[in-house]
Amino acid sequence: MRWPVFFLIPIALIAFVAGQLFLKHAMESSAVRGFRDAQVILFLGCGILSMTIHFFVTLGLLGHLDLSYVYPFQGLSVIIISLAAAVVLKEKLSFRLTLGALLISAGIMLVSMS
Amino acid sequence: MTKGTRNKRMQNRPSGFANPWFQLGFGVVCVLVYELLQKRGASETANLSQVWSWTGITALVSPLIWLAMALMIVSLLSWLYVLRYIPLSIAFPLSRVVDVLIPLSCWLILGENISSRRWCGIALVVVGLLLTARPVAQLEEKL
Repeated sequence: MRWPVFFLIPIALIAFVAGQLFLKHAMESSAVRGFRDAQVILFLGCGILSMTIHFFVTLGLLGHLDLSYVYPFQGLSVIIISLAAAVVLKEKLSFRLTLGALLISAGIMLVSMS
Repeated sequence: MTKGTRNKRMQNRPSGFANPWFQLGFGVVCVLVYELLQKRGASETANLSQVWSWTGITALVSPLIWLAMALMIVSLLSWLYVLRYIPLSIAFPLSRVVDVLIPLSCWLILGENISSRRWCGIALVVVGLLLTARPVAQLEEKL
């Protein structure tokens, strides 16, 4: 395995998680401030940029690796996003939700490995 | 964003088609349909040109691919709407029900095989979804 893969897989994952957090923050703020607010536009832009980075890095990875190798890492995004939402967005994360997210992540990893 | 504002917004959430829970399900269905259309469209057009087939551009000949792209945009807009109302730590895990629906649809509609390892994964996701959905049902009862 070539060395860029070790960097590109976490980069794709981080970009996806950051993108969802940015979009969530933008949409929550938009409910209060409206869509013309500079902060809402900034967060929406950052979200779209992060998702675009994720899209192209994933495409690049898929060009060199099998989907069954790349996609299981995407499964990790469920538990990471849940934890990040609790830490960054101060969402309430109960034990049941954490366990649910963990099982979904593990399940997606099993489903996508062939 | 305080918890109070969030709860207040959920209490005043729109009903019917604009209901955020309905939109979450609607978005999932859009993703499921566009993934299946993409697969059908890409398979039908894969051998049209040997030079261009690896780029995926040849798939643009298929109307199914255009329909898939339209659904992709609809699902994105629906997801942004969902994020306005539902906490990310609930909406995102629930949206992954699509990872169960896609292999099941491929099995039912496209006749693809599901290995025993994949069945185990599907079972784990379903249990995880049930655990995540239970607090949602309790939250809805309170509102």
